[in-house]
Amino acid sequence: MAKEMLLPKDPRYLRYPLETPFDKEKARWIAFNCSRCSVCKWVNSWQVKSARYARICPQHTRYLYDSHSGQGKCDLALAIIDGKMKWDDDPEIKDILFRCTMCGGCDAMDKNIRDAELIKLYRWMRSEYIKALGPLPEHKSLIDSLKQYDNVWLQPRAKRNSWAQDLKNLGIKDLNNEKADVLLFVGCTYGLSQELKPTILNIAKILKQNKVDFGILGDKEICCGSPPDKIGLLDEFERLGTANIKRFNELGIKTLITPCAGCYGTIRVEYDELPVKKQFEVLHVAEYLDRLVADKKINYKKELNLTVTWHDPCHMGRMGRPYVPGKDLEGVYDEPRRILKSIPGIELVEMERIREYAWCCGGGGGAFTGFKDFAQWTARERLTEAKDTGADVLITSCPWCESNLRAGGIGMDEKMEVRNLFDLMMQAL
Amino acid sequence: MAKKDIRNNDRHQQILQAFQAAVGPENVKDNPATVNAYYGDWLPPKLLGMSVPPEFVVLPNGTLETQAVIKICNRYKVPFIPVGSNQWSLTGSPNRQGTVIIDCKRMGKIHEIDEKNMYAVIEPLVTLAQLQAEAYKRGLYIGSPEASATASAIAGHCFQGMWGVGYRLGVAYRNILGIEWVLPNGEILRTGSFSLDAQNGFWGEGPGPDLRGMLRGYAGAMGGFGMVTKMAVKLHPYPGPKTWPVRGTIPNQISELPEDRFKWYIIKYDSLEGAINFMYEIGKAEIAGVVQKWPTVYYIWWWANSNEQYWTEWQKRTFQDNVKNAVGVCLWGFTSPKQLEYEKRVLEDIIKETGGKPIKQEVFDLWVPRTANNWIRDTHGSRMMRPSGTFLALRLQTDTLKYAVDHVRQGYEWVEKFSPPILDCDGPDWIGGYDFGHFGFGETDFPVEKRAEDIGDLMNKLLAMTKEDVQNGLENGIGPFLGGPYHQMAAPVFNYEHLLKGIKKAIDPNFVSNPPHNIDPNA
Ligand SMILES: Cc1cc2nc3c(=O)[nH]c(=O)nc-3n(C[C@H](O)[C@H](O)[C@H](O)COP(=O)(O)OP(=O)(O)OC[C@H]3O[C@@H](n4cnc5c(N)ncnc54)[C@H](O)[C@@H]3O)c2cc1C
Ligand code: SF4
Ligand code: SF4
Repeated sequence: MAKEMLLPKDPRYLRYPLETPFDKEKARWIAFNCSRCSVCKWVNSWQVKSARYARICPQHTRYLYDSHSGQGKCDLALAIIDGKMKWDDDPEIKDILFRCTMCGGCDAMDKNIRDAELIKLYRWMRSEYIKALGPLPEHKSLIDSLKQYDNVWLQPRAKRNSWAQDLKNLGIKDLNNEKADVLLFVGCTYGLSQELKPTILNIAKILKQNKVDFGILGDKEICCGSPPDKIGLLDEFERLGTANIKRFNELGIKTLITPCAGCYGTIRVEYDELPVKKQFEVLHVAEYLDRLVADKKINYKKELNLTVTWHDPCHMGRMGRPYVPGKDLEGVYDEPRRILKSIPGIELVEMERIREYAWCCGGGGGAFTGFKDFAQWTARERLTEAKDTGADVLITSCPWCESNLRAGGIGMDEKMEVRNLFDLMMQAL
Repeated sequence: MAKKDIRNNDRHQQILQAFQAAVGPENVKDNPATVNAYYGDWLPPKLLGMSVPPEFVVLPNGTLETQAVIKICNRYKVPFIPVGSNQWSLTGSPNRQGTVIIDCKRMGKIHEIDEKNMYAVIEPLVTLAQLQAEAYKRGLYIGSPEASATASAIAGHCFQGMWGVGYRLGVAYRNILGIEWVLPNGEILRTGSFSLDAQNGFWGEGPGPDLRGMLRGYAGAMGGFGMVTKMAVKLHPYPGPKTWPVRGTIPNQISELPEDRFKWYIIKYDSLEGAINFMYEIGKAEIAGVVQKWPTVYYIWWWANSNEQYWTEWQKRTFQDNVKNAVGVCLWGFTSPKQLEYEKRVLEDIIKETGGKPIKQEVFDLWVPRTANNWIRDTHGSRMMRPSGTFLALRLQTDTLKYAVDHVRQGYEWVEKFSPPILDCDGPDWIGGYDFGHFGFGETDFPVEKRAEDIGDLMNKLLAMTKEDVQNGLENGIGPFLGGPYHQMAAPVFNYEHLLKGIKKAIDPNFVSNPPHNIDPNA
């Protein structure tokens, strides 16, 4: 008779426990099984193309100590969970947890060698930290703004009216009163920033030109919940997320499209953790327009003659899909590239770190609001990498990436223009 | 009662100030959350409560700052450990209070790559993946251990040094040229051509006796002989592309090297002896770039993309039934496609003469594109910990290929005896050769569940086995690479105990360089 196989006793070694909620036990499992291999600090070896651009983790590259890395955060979580350390034992814990852009670079590399979810671990750690010591003073304005106005930019709800009015002038439906198949979810940053507003108008014009049946929520749109989710304010995330799902379901839309990578990742992936379930498809505007490009529905009229490089926003790329151990870390990588290549006169050149192993812009995880020095340092690394491709312009499609990369570029000797994908598209139409 | 904070202690403050003066305040840390990240990994020490957090982590930049740090350690008689990527906690995590970790994070420069003379001058943080990327661009290459190419290239050269391409390049430490090195007592030592010209590392020997041997030993100096701050390492001609070929998305990436220059074979034999005979014949013909006899678990460790895939495939016996006693060979057309064609013909003759058979095509197709090239540039080594949280090795033997057979056979017996806690593994029989098979090794790795009870129990048994080996005068198979206590037992067997202790006494009078590694002079 064949001998019985000796398999691990702990069933979590046989199959990774994906079920929600993510709790202390799951956090300990991930932390305990960290092998200190340092894979989370570097681009996956097979993808390292030069010594200069071999790092994946902005935090570790900037602060150097191993405590400031995926591995270090695993060690910290284990010490806290096992009662060897308390959140208030060391003021540096705050930096270890929050001077991190939640970009998921470490998480993606780690998923190459084990089944784990580092970003979920960090989110849990941040929320436990806040429960013990309260929110960070650096995030106070963001939190106040969410509580008062349901957006992150300390602007009254009515302010959303300014862009909404522009869209209404274009004859765009107001889904508070009318029905449409598609909801264009604008997000707080595109919605409230004067600098970024033209992008929304351009998207609306492109959709309109292509006879897409879509509408907006105008000043009734509220934050998707991404910022509170990333900074560990999970109650606030749940409040906003639940309200949003209920509202979107009521609208009877088939598809929600958004141009913001942060909103996209949150609505598409993070909402799955909430008790109310989505009854609609979630797409980034790039995915939606890519379908129109494929159907040859976009008629460009101008040639742009530009060499561009594409920056993959983390929440649209490696964090843009739910995790399934063993499956590709899929994301919206090819769609924007296909759109760029469809524009006459555009040459796309690639940076060394792209797709699931892209270097972050620096603006995520509360760093843009709370730790500007670190956020902009990270952005400068990305701009230098973009410059090294020989591109004239860096293109992306996330308001946080755009704003942070522009802020990081101020004062740099070599300038790199940062533009939005849809603005570029519009220019050629 | 409040915990006593060592940081309030006067002596601690004096040492801190000395470090701060030497390297700048931001480059020294003693706070609990930072030091907490420097004492554990998948190996037993932390799990079994044998390691403790360091008292300081110091980040010197360059040889002079490293010298200053090491001199301070001597002045205050505090132990220090130099670390690279710090994967090997058996020798890299503190086992006593008051330890200083010298972290190389500010020493990441590649000073030079001399294409013509085929060498690179590197600092300790430079990873093998970084060095490989730069070397490929210049038609050169270097290997990596199965720890993955994220390991420090310097640590990889002066630690175990068993690389996938070892068959061709020899043990990694044979590729060391000039070294700049801060000895345990704080003196700077420059060897090879660095001794004449600090900018020029092309030559390895001298002055006088070849001091590189001190870093090599049986399994490196384990941080017991000071810290290397700069090293010139040999690079080798490479027939591959300038950028590593890879497609697909993590974790399902595929790597295929150009067919006119590289060809993989996996050839199966009825017995281990048959497989080893095949390896000898390949060596005699002086062909191939990689020749390895992997244990069954190696196939699945590197291949599986999730725990579920690992254990499902294991229970289907896909690898157990197909790769037992198989040898992986990668032929390289080093000089031309014609060379590859020639080598293919030679290899096919050898296969015929030795009675080998290719493994099933479907298993070959399943495994090779996803996995095989890790033996040239490893990116998946840490998958060894995936299925059960950790793995252990019984013994490491370095002698001849033939001897390795006996060695791994004993490994089968031990695994049988200790299962459980050892998990299903189909025999711990990793055998590889260096220098065209003139020199061979056997390593006996197997998965164990990461539970303190199981690991503690097994470690005691392994230690007892090592003692028994020593008593029986078993000249090989002892695991000195595991660190000081093992080295301590191994040295008398190899009869180099006096030499090692003498060196340690001479250059480490205060016994501060990663004690008790690599040997305790007073034990
Ligand atoms: C999963 C796994 C598989 C492995 N497989 C292999 C294998 O197939 N072949 C093989 O050869 N090795 C193997 N190893 C061991 C491996 O060689 C080492 O872990 C790796 O090369 C060391 O790199 P590191 O940067 O992590 O070294 P570290 O762990 O940082 O250091 C290793 C030792 O070298 C010392 N050291 C580090 N830097 C310096 C320096 N600058 N000067 C002086 N001393 C220094 C340290 O004190 C320590 O004792 C494996 C390890 C793991 C985790
Ligand atoms: S990659 Fe994962 S297992 Fe490795 S050190 Fe980072 S967190 Fe730990
Ligand atoms: S999320 Fe990004 S910044 Fe944070 S530890 Fe991971 S790679 Fe580093």
